[in-house]
Amino acid sequence: MTVDDSQDSPVAHMRLSVNGVHRDIEVPDDEALVTSLRKLGFTSVRAACGIGMCGTCTVQVDGMVASSCLLLTRQVSGCELVTSEGLVEDGALSEVQQAFLDHRAYQCSFCIPGMVLTVDACLRSHPSATVSDVREYLSGNLCRCGTYPSILEAVHALVAARTAGGDVR
Amino acid sequence: MTSINMTPQPTGAVGVDHPMQDAVDRVVGSIRFTIDHEVGGMAHARVIRSPFPHARLTGIDVKGALALPGVLAVLTGEDIVGDERIPNPCFGVARRDQWPLAVGKVRYAGDPVALVVADTERHADAAAIAVRVDYDELPYVVDAAEAAREGAPVIHEEWPRNECGSWALHHGDVEEGFAQADRIVESVYTSPSANPVPLEPHVAVAQWNDQLLQVWSSTQWPSIVRRELAHMFGLAEHLVEVRTYPLGGGFGAKGQVKIEPLVASAARIVGVPVRLELDRDEVFLTVAKHPATIRVKSGVKRDGTFVARDMELVYAAGAYAVTSPSGTGNALVRAPGPYRIPNIRITSQAYYTNTVPGGSFRGAFTNQVAFAYESHVDEIASELGMDPMMLRMKNLLRDGDTYATGEAMHDVHFEELVVNVAEGIGWDEAQPPMAPGRLRAKGLAVILKSTPTPSRSEARVEIGGDGHVTVYSSAVDMGQGASSTLAQLAAEFLGVRYADVRVVDPDTSTTPFDTMTAGSRTTFSSGSAIRQACAALIEAIGELGADQLGLSPAELAHDEGHVVAAMDGSHRRSYGEVIVAAGLSSLSREGVFQSESGGAFKDPLDVKGMASIHWHQGAAAVEIEVDIETGRVIVLRCHGASWAGRIVNPTRVRQQNEGNIIFGIGPALFEQLEMESGQVINPNMSDYMIPSILDVPEHMTSTALVSSEADAELHGVGEMTIPAVAPAIANAVFRATGVRIRDLPLTAERVLRGLRSVEGKDR
Repeated sequence: MTVDDSQDSPVAHMRLSVNGVHRDIEVPDDEALVTSLRKLGFTSVRAACGIGMCGTCTVQVDGMVASSCLLLTRQVSGCELVTSEGLVEDGALSEVQQAFLDHRAYQCSFCIPGMVLTVDACLRSHPSATVSDVREYLSGNLCRCGTYPSILEAVHALVAARTAGGDVR
Repeated sequence: MTSINMTPQPTGAVGVDHPMQDAVDRVVGSIRFTIDHEVGGMAHARVIRSPFPHARLTGIDVKGALALPGVLAVLTGEDIVGDERIPNPCFGVARRDQWPLAVGKVRYAGDPVALVVADTERHADAAAIAVRVDYDELPYVVDAAEAAREGAPVIHEEWPRNECGSWALHHGDVEEGFAQADRIVESVYTSPSANPVPLEPHVAVAQWNDQLLQVWSSTQWPSIVRRELAHMFGLAEHLVEVRTYPLGGGFGAKGQVKIEPLVASAARIVGVPVRLELDRDEVFLTVAKHPATIRVKSGVKRDGTFVARDMELVYAAGAYAVTSPSGTGNALVRAPGPYRIPNIRITSQAYYTNTVPGGSFRGAFTNQVAFAYESHVDEIASELGMDPMMLRMKNLLRDGDTYATGEAMHDVHFEELVVNVAEGIGWDEAQPPMAPGRLRAKGLAVILKSTPTPSRSEARVEIGGDGHVTVYSSAVDMGQGASSTLAQLAAEFLGVRYADVRVVDPDTSTTPFDTMTAGSRTTFSSGSAIRQACAALIEAIGELGADQLGLSPAELAHDEGHVVAAMDGSHRRSYGEVIVAAGLSSLSREGVFQSESGGAFKDPLDVKGMASIHWHQGAAAVEIEVDIETGRVIVLRCHGASWAGRIVNPTRVRQQNEGNIIFGIGPALFEQLEMESGQVINPNMSDYMIPSILDVPEHMTSTALVSSEADAELHGVGEMTIPAVAPAIANAVFRATGVRIRDLPLTAERVLRGLRSVEGKDR
């Protein structure tokens, strides 16, 4: 949706930085971040519950995971946002994405980008995360298909490979 | 006819763990869902819903809303009924009893009453608040048993007793059976309403071009949506194009016909493309698992032999029929469970209620009966002092046994399944010491499920001049990987590489008819259609190739997408080259799978005969722990198993078996649509929780049992372990605590109450 409906509510002028690209935008004061991101084409960010319970709208804000349905866009002015699209570098999947791919950790996959971002953040702060660390981190990312076991396998394999000192790509 | 040497050698596409074809898009998030679909100039819609369960509509004031910025129209039921371009505004797959927007009265709290169409979602939301609706409240009924009573509020005038499905089955002589019994065991089991909660909500976009209607919808039933829309607008079916993207989950929620009639009507009346995406609370108000009350009375011999069974199944249909009239029939034929019971009487009924319309829910019309009959088997075991597994082994159906429908059962694997799941959790292992305040035990359950019968799947398979293969099928990929599974099958049947096959998304203007993507039928049904199409294609290519190479068809063989001389492999020519040499751009053939009609359902009050083209079979065993302070049930271990016959993709089969277990833990332990004053009071993902990664048993495993025959029949595995989860847990809770819970879900509160009442009795 690209219609400009900003005349109805006060507008914030702000700098939105997503995946390393800065945009100076006008955004309705009360617009949720998930809405702004989807309007900009970041469709890996998806709304499913609207109340911060399901994790499908997960983004990284300055490296921390957040539900973009619970943030107003103007609240993240000046922050560095990362979406799943931003984890892909020069066409190559990130290690976490590659692990999900290799372990078939996807079914309908509506939740997967959020899962990947959460695992990515978890492993950045806990490089040798245990299964229980990962479960705790992912407890706010719901998957109705029940892909959780494959996701845990993917993360476990990635951590094991990294711990073994291998150069994982 | 295809001679033996014309059949391509298998390429090994089947049984291989190929990734889904769009795996990278799924992981990165670049996969497109219907929520991402936009068309130029589209408007956005917002539904105004009734807060009352049953009320007369006395006035809708749209003036205030119409005056707001960006509002294009505010529609009511009268606008749709009064539009001559919509000659048949009612829709429904079993009964056309549902209006896109309520006319005259509302039948449940959540019934759509008006629709705002505006240039933006923001404007539509703002205007929706400004629509004023006056209601005159009517007496309402939310409980099926009450709806069945004389004098209950009538929900549809055409159905004065609120009847919405009525079936009966008599097998053997029940009275005589009970007379032979040493013991009679009788109990009542209930399952509440629940929601399938696909993460992608219902969403549809409709666009009209003069007489052509194009609809993009997140639906599991594109062919039936087309049929209903064509009927509604009085159009030939080829003037309605229904397209789907892969779904962000379905689980039954997107079965039948849901928001498409409303969106298509709005686009017709307003004259612009219209998009509607439901909010989460609206998903909860659009489809519900049928609440059920199931009475089971059994007569058994002292040695455990089942001799008689009497069952009454009563379902709340909700405000509109959807599939309740036929679904109750499916419930009936599944209700005896996988047992040899010589004398059976069952009735199955649904009644209209002023609640969210009943619909499909992963394991539909099986979960409720399975919870009842599998809890019941353990109650009998307890009564007789027998091991519940041994009691099952004594009575489970074996090959050649007669089922309650009178049909002889074949390809039966229930005993294997029970042994498999029992071993999977160490049924006979000694109990490790329990933590203080915890009680631990194991439980199991085994189920059968009919597959929708009759049903039809068509497919067209095309080979291009470049040798690439395109499969046209209206089977919907909703995360189960249908497209990739069907691609693996097509690759196998044609003897080509998996990477060279593409299965397109459903588009009814090009993909042929398919009854539904539901009931775990797609791999078998669409797979059968594809197999037929591929065989015809191979034959056609063989004829062309033989002609081109100057050989007789018998002298020709097929080898990995090429025709060759059978004798020495010479004259090698690719399928693409054969097609081009024949002056064609591509070559395609169609296949049709049409199952036999389910003869069992001819007389609803005397169900007898073939009820399912084949029977799905599954089982689950759990080890649980109960926290006696709080009543909380923790599933420590679970092993699920299903009969697959033959596996197309091992990972996806495992993900179905284990995904079903995880899904099943929700309605077993906590999922329930809560009602108060006829309203759903928890229509959000905070008050209605679904299983998270923390609910996954620490030890979870599964098995797909396969045939030793290379060409065994494929069995769908989309729902085989879910119905067994709740009774397996309930049975384990009983074995741990002595508390028998007959009402789902097994919340901590219910278990704690049970523990207290057991303690009370002990004192």
